[in-house]
Amino acid sequence: MGIHRIGLVVPSSNVTVETEMPTLLNRHADEQFSFHSSRMRMQAVSPEQLRAMNAQRERCILELGDAGVDAILYACLVALMSVGPGEHQRVEGLVAEQLAAGGSDAVVRSSAGALVEALHAIDAKRIVLVTPYMRPLAEQVVAYIEAEGIQVSDWRALEVADNAEVGCIPGDRVMDAARSLDRTGADALVISACVQMPSLDLVQAAEDEFELPVLSAATAGVYSLLRALGLPVDIPGAGGLLRADAPAAALQ
Amino acid sequence: MSEQKHTVKGVDHVAYPTFDPAATVKFYRDVLGFPVVHSICAAGWGPEKHPDFIHFFFDIGNDDRLAFFYYFGLEPFDGGPQGDSYSRFTEDVPIFFIRSRHLAIHVDSEDDLMEYRRRLDGSEWPVEMQIQHETIESIYTHDPNGYMIEITRALRPVTPQEDLDANITIDALVDVVSGPEPSMAALLTRKAELIVERAEAWQQKQDEKEMVSNR
Amino acid sequence: MTTLFVLDVPENTPIAAVAGQDPAVMIDRVGPYYRIVSDAPIVIDRRATKARHAVWYSSVAGLHRSRITQWDKDAMRIEPR
Repeated sequence: MGIHRIGLVVPSSNVTVETEMPTLLNRHADEQFSFHSSRMRMQAVSPEQLRAMNAQRERCILELGDAGVDAILYACLVALMSVGPGEHQRVEGLVAEQLAAGGSDAVVRSSAGALVEALHAIDAKRIVLVTPYMRPLAEQVVAYIEAEGIQVSDWRALEVADNAEVGCIPGDRVMDAARSLDRTGADALVISACVQMPSLDLVQAAEDEFELPVLSAATAGVYSLLRALGLPVDIPGAGGLLRADAPAAALQ
Repeated sequence: MSEQKHTVKGVDHVAYPTFDPAATVKFYRDVLGFPVVHSICAAGWGPEKHPDFIHFFFDIGNDDRLAFFYYFGLEPFDGGPQGDSYSRFTEDVPIFFIRSRHLAIHVDSEDDLMEYRRRLDGSEWPVEMQIQHETIESIYTHDPNGYMIEITRALRPVTPQEDLDANITIDALVDVVSGPEPSMAALLTRKAELIVERAEAWQQKQDEKEMVSNR
Repeated sequence: MTTLFVLDVPENTPIAAVAGQDPAVMIDRVGPYYRIVSDAPIVIDRRATKARHAVWYSSVAGLHRSRITQWDKDAMRIEPR
């Protein structure tokens, strides 16, 4: 069995991925994980900075490959989505090729791909979401998800440009934005379509309040990694998605 | 003859090692004009000790690619004096054998062949030979790694009877090498037998095909 | 009997033609091959064929009960085995 080594490629100013992913995965009853990250320099979530960040990908993968990780999560959702539809598949392919060329067995996932994967896994065809971004970037996130065949019926952009500030957005502000959404006919709520806006404690609370499946980019990332590693998806207190493999009795 | 579907699409890449990536890029990209179309930066993460490396690809037409590996810090191995960056051969290995492994790249016309000749002749790697074979004309040089490169054009299209003859040659070869003393004489004798066995029936089928397509 | 097969492709036609100039030589076809037959040895003068080096040395497709006793830049000589 052993410890599963998780590699995280994070924007340099991101502090939430390295907080929420370990918190979630360490709730796993049976499996153990260690976390190793590599950083891509970015201060503002702007198209220019995002392009520069993608160019650092090769270095980040080299660093994590050296650590012999079992899985790599390319954890910047908006960096991929802002390029255009199909980008996460393209980047995951390039990372996989880089790993394969060097003889690494590590599996590759991205936060962007994970969000789509998780929404498909719960058969969500129509969703609502909350993002911290400026409107133009938020629109790109919505377009990306819709290009994957999932309708976004309502959304909020909290318009926080500085990534460090995004990491400090209070939970109340996120919940208020979620409450303001028109959730009629929605199959799911993505309470944070961002890996820097903290939302870990909000997922279960929102699911209880709205009686709707709730995910975040973080819980989707955890789902995707567990599936990729062939491990049971059973993490308490973070929404129904992460209880996909929980024994039926435990769900009551 | 096998009835399996033949759906492969040529050369995804043919790969060689290089100890001089700068000269390799100069030769293929700058002199010959083959664009760099892909690269992978990786390390050796498998069980054996393995340097960091770059794997880079040139387009050689038809979506086919020629690729190189450059390993940081790797020095050439002992061997030689003959050979290239990949294979080293001692003095006594005959040159015909060493030349038997090479990459030949296709061009469609005399003009194209002469253009690549011009590019090579204007560089540090001029054309060493220009030869007309049975139905093709080729120019040859060695790249900075010592790999022999041929650029070739067809003097005329391949005829169907040449396909038949090639298949007869191969069948005869397989028969002859499993026999006691393989030789060209034995091969030609076996070919005559196969010609007598198959050639008329083949011709009949060809004539039928032609009649159908001429209607 | 000396028997030699040559594939009928444009480069080989002159070779078959020169072989056929010998009155002792008979030429017929087996499929797309010339079958060149004689009671005596068959001798083909290379210069008369004007064949290029590569064409000359790959022109023999098959031999029936025969062997090549000379094959150089001057001529090809095939004798009964």
